[in-house]
Amino acid sequence: MKAHTHTEDFEQLYHSAPCGFITITGDGSIVNVNDTLLRWLGYTRDQLIGQASLQALLDVGGKIYFETHIMPMLQIEGEVSEINITMRSANKKNRIPCLLNAVRDKSTDRNTAIFHCVVIKMNHRKLYEIELLEARKEAERNVQKLAQINQDLERFAHTASHDLQAPLNTIYGLMNLLERQGYVPEDSDGAQYFKLIKGNAMRMKLMIHDLLDYAKLDAEERSFEQVSLKEACAAALEMLGEQIKTNQAECIVGELPVVNGDRMKLIRLFQNIIGNAIKYRSEAAPRIEISFVNKPDHVTVYISDNGMGFDQRFADDIFGFMKRLHSHDSISGSGIGLSACKRIIDLHGGEIGATSEPGAGSAFFFTLPKPDN
Amino acid sequence: MANSVIQRNNVNISGKGTQPMVFAHGYGCDQTMWRFVAPAFEEDFKVVKFDHVGSGKSDLQAYDFTKYNSLQGYADDVNEICEELDLNNVIFVGHSVSSMIGILAAASNPERFAKLVLVGPSPCYINKGNYVGGFEQSDIDELVATLESNYLGWSSYITPVIIGDPDKPEFSEELNTSFCSMKPEIAKHFAKVTFTSDNRNDLQRVQTPSLIIQSHPDVIAPVEVGKFLHNQLKNSAYEQISTVGHCPHLTAPDHVIAAMRRFIK
Repeated sequence: MKAHTHTEDFEQLYHSAPCGFITITGDGSIVNVNDTLLRWLGYTRDQLIGQASLQALLDVGGKIYFETHIMPMLQIEGEVSEINITMRSANKKNRIPCLLNAVRDKSTDRNTAIFHCVVIKMNHRKLYEIELLEARKEAERNVQKLAQINQDLERFAHTASHDLQAPLNTIYGLMNLLERQGYVPEDSDGAQYFKLIKGNAMRMKLMIHDLLDYAKLDAEERSFEQVSLKEACAAALEMLGEQIKTNQAECIVGELPVVNGDRMKLIRLFQNIIGNAIKYRSEAAPRIEISFVNKPDHVTVYISDNGMGFDQRFADDIFGFMKRLHSHDSISGSGIGLSACKRIIDLHGGEIGATSEPGAGSAFFFTLPKPDN
Repeated sequence: MANSVIQRNNVNISGKGTQPMVFAHGYGCDQTMWRFVAPAFEEDFKVVKFDHVGSGKSDLQAYDFTKYNSLQGYADDVNEICEELDLNNVIFVGHSVSSMIGILAAASNPERFAKLVLVGPSPCYINKGNYVGGFEQSDIDELVATLESNYLGWSSYITPVIIGDPDKPEFSEELNTSFCSMKPEIAKHFAKVTFTSDNRNDLQRVQTPSLIIQSHPDVIAPVEVGKFLHNQLKNSAYEQISTVGHCPHLTAPDHVIAAMRRFIK
């Protein structure tokens, strides 16, 4: 076996390494190049050394980039890395996407600068990059499209429910007038129909009111601040005062934390969940407990009741838009209240859920982010 | 207004002299491009350097795609800087695209400018009729298309990483955030505006004495272009210096300084 000298070993490594080596002067003139790069590009050594510049091996975009970015960086910083360039083969048929790393030879200074460059082929990486960029563009387009659709829908929902409200109010008012002025004789078939019409009109009014509320959730500007849940809960209870009194409900509010959130929306959240606890009561007087558990990055609030409860199978359905477990005749409602709660918690980046059993009460819980710092 | 122009263009003032020398960087990087040339004039001049909006440490919020859709937007900025700092008898030194920016600034505000130094200037990069700009329309279309597809790696992740000067770590740190790094959207737009601009008709509007510093070969602004400009621009001097490439102020600063000194004298 022939003994190699160090120089021969290095020489062999230089020429047969699976990457291009090219050495240039401060103006890009090629002073050395290895066999690998010559093979990739289809040049002979004599065609390049002392005859051509690195920029001459690049495509038009690369030439401009070399002059306006790469060379200034090399001159000023003495080093560039991970620059994406496209090299062109001698016959101009092939375009080879490459990564370029270059560093100034430490033994040279600004005036005598020599730069050693490593060129790594990246055909497949480049294709992958193009795919990724295309996917990102597509995603950006979709996000824009969706945002527009969402905005239109919000506006539609708001306008529709708002515009439906006015004629309905008139209908409702006129029905009251009819009734008060005795146009509907009691015990007649007409009175029976009238009652049904009025019930339905009332139901529609409730639904439109809730729809409008729901549409507002998205339309309103987000104003996050530090909110004391204790205060938000107290405000909700005050709004529910009439209902609490009528049902002789007992609300036990423990310590509650301060969170980062939208005050008005959080009040509405408490109002909806506690209101439901009273509405879906059992025979016993409603007893509602509100407590919380501290987690490292969020808090979980529990609202449990002794109400009628529901089958755990429906635990997800109840948060669906206009989904109801009860018929309108047994307990009135629009099916919007809990989906509004879910929307509010979504806007806060939290989660909401419930556990229940028929006849054994329900426990609702939601998570909220802790205040910053 | 006062602070906003200074901050908007990251204006830096140095030097002991009174006559202002305003340095405008070209397409690609920022005012650090002048670091080998500007110090030579600090003894005798008031040296003013700045970054074009969209480049370096300028206020990126101020990048208005409508205003900067033509080089006039940048020229207006130059005039605003001069007005703000009350600069008169200005020697304007512009590289590459900033040469034309300086010509537009001098055309609209001739009384402010004493001299123009144009390093690697080109009034039009595209060959048109008998005019040789150096590029075919298709080259520029290809460049713009490739820039638009983020081809040169101007993604937020592939922005070239600058490894700093170990002697001045604090300076390197600054460079990391500014030098040659532009937001991809702005880089594409600036490239498009630069390489599709045609200011040949503006040349006759300028009488200010000027010096064209031409290197050879320069693939971006070839010798023919420099000579054309010299021919069209009244009161212009032409000097070809013995260095290669589009950035002689980086590759051969001594030549550039010497040519400037001869012209200014």
